[in-house]
Amino acid sequence: MEGKIIVVTSGKGGVGKTTATSSIGAALALEGNRVAIVDMDIGLRNLDVVMGLENRIVFNIVDVVQDRCKIEQAAIRDRRIENLFLIPASQSDNKDVLTTAGIERIAKQLRSKFDYIIMDSPAGIERGFENSVVSADEALVICTPDVSAVRDADRVIGLLYARSLSPKLIVNRIEPARVMRGEMLSHEDVLEVLSIDLVGLVPMDEKVLISSNTGTPLVLQTDSKAGAAFRQIARRLNGEADLPIEMPVYKTSMWQKISKTFGLKQ
Amino acid sequence: MLSGLFKRFTTKKNSKDAAKKRLQFSLIYDKLEVNDTTLTDLQQDIVDVISKYFEIDKDSLELKVKRDENVSALVFNTPILHVKRKQV
Repeated sequence: MEGKIIVVTSGKGGVGKTTATSSIGAALALEGNRVAIVDMDIGLRNLDVVMGLENRIVFNIVDVVQDRCKIEQAAIRDRRIENLFLIPASQSDNKDVLTTAGIERIAKQLRSKFDYIIMDSPAGIERGFENSVVSADEALVICTPDVSAVRDADRVIGLLYARSLSPKLIVNRIEPARVMRGEMLSHEDVLEVLSIDLVGLVPMDEKVLISSNTGTPLVLQTDSKAGAAFRQIARRLNGEADLPIEMPVYKTSMWQKISKTFGLKQ
Repeated sequence: MLSGLFKRFTTKKNSKDAAKKRLQFSLIYDKLEVNDTTLTDLQQDIVDVISKYFEIDKDSLELKVKRDENVSALVFNTPILHVKRKQV
């Protein structure tokens, strides 16, 4: 069977694209799939360090597209998770070195070798975005609950629809306490503004930074809320579309319960 | 706790409501933005259609997208030189 190419994109940088890509890829591999994660951020690669594979790079995606090596030679096997591979970006090339035609050419090969190919799109909507999207079968848009991330997500959603892709949304870094206090857009607010399908809600989690510090997969940390959320997202992508989406919970204290009862809080 | 209670009575609207309103507005506004090529193409098409019926001064026409908080409009202004006779 042919594999599926999923692009992870956001428009705005710094909303957690790389974490999402590596976590969803890792989780899909844990579900028993053969997964390749492709870093499309030419010149500013990061997936390798986040995944702890930075000292094992020999070839990269540019080498593959320009026929200097085979896909198998560029794909780095993960240290912990079986069937998980990273095809790193090139760090030295110009960011416009790849073309959509080049990506389309290797997409076929990638589909024949892997069950899932996750493309980590660079921020922005220029060439790198085009390259990440050109061969995608599915698209995930990730945003945080703030005005700039949501606005950029809307722009990207429009561009994806123009390419006949129906993206699904991940709302990242939700802080339930702040949502309750009315300081942060809730995921309902974000969905209402963007009006697309939701595929997952990821709470703010200190473990994300810790796991990237050490280059270990977030989804292997049993006590990580964000890791658990990404595993759920992977299951939804992997055939369990109806798996219910859990709302990030907020532990309410006695005082808050009382004030809520008396209608002092919204 | 008392100050918390006081604060809760006096807090103004939630900031997230402001965020949502501003977002909804800006997303609509963003989509009304028309790029130059679209505008030039549109102008050419309008000129072609009008030219079937009127002779117009192509040098002094103008096409604009006007936007304000409540309404958006496309405004096309052109002097008419002659009415063309319909061909039988």
